[in-house]
Amino acid sequence: MQTYLQFAVLGLGLGAIYIGLGTGLLLVHRATGIINFAQGAMAMWGAYVFAQLRLDGTLMLPIGSIDLGRRPTVAVAALIGLVTAVLLGLVAHYLVFRPVRNAPVLAQVVVSVALMITIQALVVLRFGPNNIKVDSILPEGSWSLAGIELSSREILMTLIMAALSAVVWAYMRFTRAGVATRAASENERAAVLMGFSPDRLAAVAQVIASVLGTVAVTLGSALTGLNPENYTLLVVPALAVLLVARMESIGIVVVAAIVLGAFQSIIGLLVTKPWWPVWAQSGFDQIIPFAVVMVILFVLGRRLPSRGSLQTVRLPDVVIPRLRLVPAVVLAVVGVAALALTSGSYRFGITTSIIVMLLALSYVVLTGYLGQISLAQGAFAGAAGFTLSKVTSNLGVPFPLSVILCGLVASALGMLVALPAFRIRGAQLAIVTIAAALAIERFVFNNYSLTPPEGNPIAAATLFGINLSVREGRDLSRLSFSLMVLVIAALLVWMFIRLASGDTGRAFLAVRANERAAASSGINVRMTKLIGFGISAFIAGIAGCLIGLSRGQLSAESFTVFAGLQVLAVAYLGGITSVGGAMVAGVLGPLGIVYVLLRGVFDLGAYYPLISGLGLILTAILNPVGVAGATREQVAWVRRRLSRGGTAEPPPVADATPKPKEPSHV
Amino acid sequence: MSDPAGRGLETRSLTVRYGGLVANSEVSISVRPGQVVGLIGPNGAGKTTFVDAVTGFTRCEGEILLDGVRIDALAPHLRRGSGLSRTWQSGELFGNLSVAENLLAAARKSGWATVVRDLFGRRRAGAGRDVVDSALAVVGLEDVADTLARDLTLGQQKLVGVARALAGGCEVLLLDEPAAGLDSMESQAFAARVRSIAEGNGSGQGPGILLIDHDMSLVLGVCDVVNVLEFGKLIFSGTPAEARTDPTVVAAYLGAPVEASHA
Ligand SMILES: Nc1ncnc2c1ncn2[C@@H]1O[C@H](COP(=O)(O)OP(=O)(O)OP(=O)(O)O)[C@@H](O)[C@H]1O
Ligand SMILES: [Mg+2]
Repeated sequence: MQTYLQFAVLGLGLGAIYIGLGTGLLLVHRATGIINFAQGAMAMWGAYVFAQLRLDGTLMLPIGSIDLGRRPTVAVAALIGLVTAVLLGLVAHYLVFRPVRNAPVLAQVVVSVALMITIQALVVLRFGPNNIKVDSILPEGSWSLAGIELSSREILMTLIMAALSAVVWAYMRFTRAGVATRAASENERAAVLMGFSPDRLAAVAQVIASVLGTVAVTLGSALTGLNPENYTLLVVPALAVLLVARMESIGIVVVAAIVLGAFQSIIGLLVTKPWWPVWAQSGFDQIIPFAVVMVILFVLGRRLPSRGSLQTVRLPDVVIPRLRLVPAVVLAVVGVAALALTSGSYRFGITTSIIVMLLALSYVVLTGYLGQISLAQGAFAGAAGFTLSKVTSNLGVPFPLSVILCGLVASALGMLVALPAFRIRGAQLAIVTIAAALAIERFVFNNYSLTPPEGNPIAAATLFGINLSVREGRDLSRLSFSLMVLVIAALLVWMFIRLASGDTGRAFLAVRANERAAASSGINVRMTKLIGFGISAFIAGIAGCLIGLSRGQLSAESFTVFAGLQVLAVAYLGGITSVGGAMVAGVLGPLGIVYVLLRGVFDLGAYYPLISGLGLILTAILNPVGVAGATREQVAWVRRRLSRGGTAEPPPVADATPKPKEPSHV
Repeated sequence: MSDPAGRGLETRSLTVRYGGLVANSEVSISVRPGQVVGLIGPNGAGKTTFVDAVTGFTRCEGEILLDGVRIDALAPHLRRGSGLSRTWQSGELFGNLSVAENLLAAARKSGWATVVRDLFGRRRAGAGRDVVDSALAVVGLEDVADTLARDLTLGQQKLVGVARALAGGCEVLLLDEPAAGLDSMESQAFAARVRSIAEGNGSGQGPGILLIDHDMSLVLGVCDVVNVLEFGKLIFSGTPAEARTDPTVVAAYLGAPVEASHA
């Protein structure tokens, strides 16, 4: 009992961070209607600045750094960290979130995910990928309660964060600006009538949220050290806390944060017990936020208040694809030629591009056609790759049956994740899927009893006696493997075009446009979503198998949440509504041919994540139709100019102001 | 009109509550095949609520029967599948699809079987196009088939909504202010179309139609039966001639200035 209490108190360190991030998320959502997936990443930056100052007196800026000569005192360093947080809040508001304040939910989710990727990439570049030590602001010590020694630092931390949250609560409750912020969350005009600019209020909210998060992470990271990936993803449990509080109550945020932190810590203790099953030892604490999210969304369902859910996801228009012989042949010839004329890392880059194209295509199905947001595509791919290693090396299932089987496994997983999509949409669906992806990553891919650290070998494919393995002797990228990837990709693209141009594609687009009108037209909306998730995850799963085959083994690093988000980034960049967009995404995608060129020719490989993050922010703000869509529009415009010779208007880009809709009862 | 095995649509004591507000209170209305039934009442009387409840878009108490079979437990898309079709007061077309695609979305099946057929079945060029053309002919909009739905005028969108509800066939058609957005000339033409839909376009009997509109001359001119709602209660049900002289109707509705068109 005593140990449990001690562990619960240790968990307060996490709880304090959740309080900071959760309160910030709530405030920003109140003020802007946006769920900021970058809250954790933003909070991390100021903490890193603080830590670096205390380590060697360097003030690290996004570009360049200032050497202060000697290490500043804790107070000065903390102050500089907080000033950084204020600036970051302002930058986030004016440069990133304000431009999308009236944009479709999808663009808002994508922008905040892009900001998250960008800051995370920048942290890796500036501060390094490894854990760094953080000076403790609070004294170490312990208090004894009824004879039990409890660590005092965690308790102090929690008290400080709870007090700061109380200040935010008082701001929302008792100041005119706070009341206007609350009013603005229902109706922006109300804030205007009170004499406030919703825009200013939103800027203030972003700054407060950024500072609050930074304080929390600076205090909390003294316990564990800072690490770019973990702290960025702490936003996921904080989102769970936000949902528990129904995005409304700061009081519940504080309580839920404390309970969640303590609970995760106790789980950490329980998994070390001899009776705890070995296979469930690692990552089990990450299941909890996901479970919380699922329970909350299923129990409360559509009763969650959210501005986001009032808008349907409005996306660029879709041009229904047709199978045309000439372009298909040209593409096939170009593909074969590109693979045949290159070798080594360039051929491998092109092959990877083809695989990434498939991952992007899975987003085209789900997001472009069906209008559903999923941040779990990487996990679907990983689940298939993972299964592939089991069925090939343990069961000896032959190729291509093995790959199809694994695609179906991913498909089943996708349909499971689709269940919450029956009731929720928009940003809330993004929360569920990222929580699912994180749970799968930590519990399955990083679980040493399921996925040994030395990797899962995947048997090379052979078909009719032809060796399709990726390596042989000194050839690290065999042509026959690349051609197999090309053939599989061509088959999947063909399947996609058949579906997209058929009754299925039309039903997807109808659901995307208007769910209740679709239901009143006899379309089974739930079934349609199930089918969409199933097909999308199937495509992602096949891509995951190909990634596995191209590595010869499966390692968790290929399928992290971030890898999945990076693919979302390039899919959106390329154009999320078309095959052409998926192809552009493949070319630009992680480890694809552009990456290989960046690394080989310009030596810029390390900057790739940063460039893709920034590119995504710009695309989401300036050019929601993506590269492919913009090119198509320009081509169409030039054609019209040429044919008419007149003054044709350039076609309007997607309508960025969705009309509010009554809540759907589907 | 309380024939239990009666064909068409029938509601029995339909009640809808929104929190404390009783938006429909014990409303019993029937719509027989071939019949045009009017539903009128001032703004906020609960007309749209009635349609929402009947088609499964809002929770209600009471019974809903289609051809004598209870359908109140069915999901909206299944009610449509069993022949109950509706339009929306605000149009609610699939704005990013062409008019023809809007109609095809309603007329063509979707599901796993369709996925398989899409993948491996033979494609006929222009499959389902005859359904589209005949439904568009009914509302006289053949020439906009390839226009994007959101580029239509409001009046046209409403009519396309009617065509979409007709596409693929139906037994009962619920029209929520379909003529709002039309001028009086177009409105008269529309009245003639409503009658001819109910008469099956000359092929014997057509679907039953429930017509909601604020245009009195349209409703009283075209309907066989008129129902009047006020504060969620059915205060009158009878022929248009009776409605014109009924004191409660005159006091509740006709006496007040009637907006000719109301969106
Ligand atoms: N989803 C809802 N939630 C709560 N109240 C609602 C909802 N929909 C309608 N109401 C209320 O129910 C009442 C009836 O509304 P309804 O839309 O059915 O009226 P109506 O007769 O169609 O009016 P109009 O002629 O303006 O279209 C109104 O008071 C309305 O405010
Ligand atoms: Mg109405």
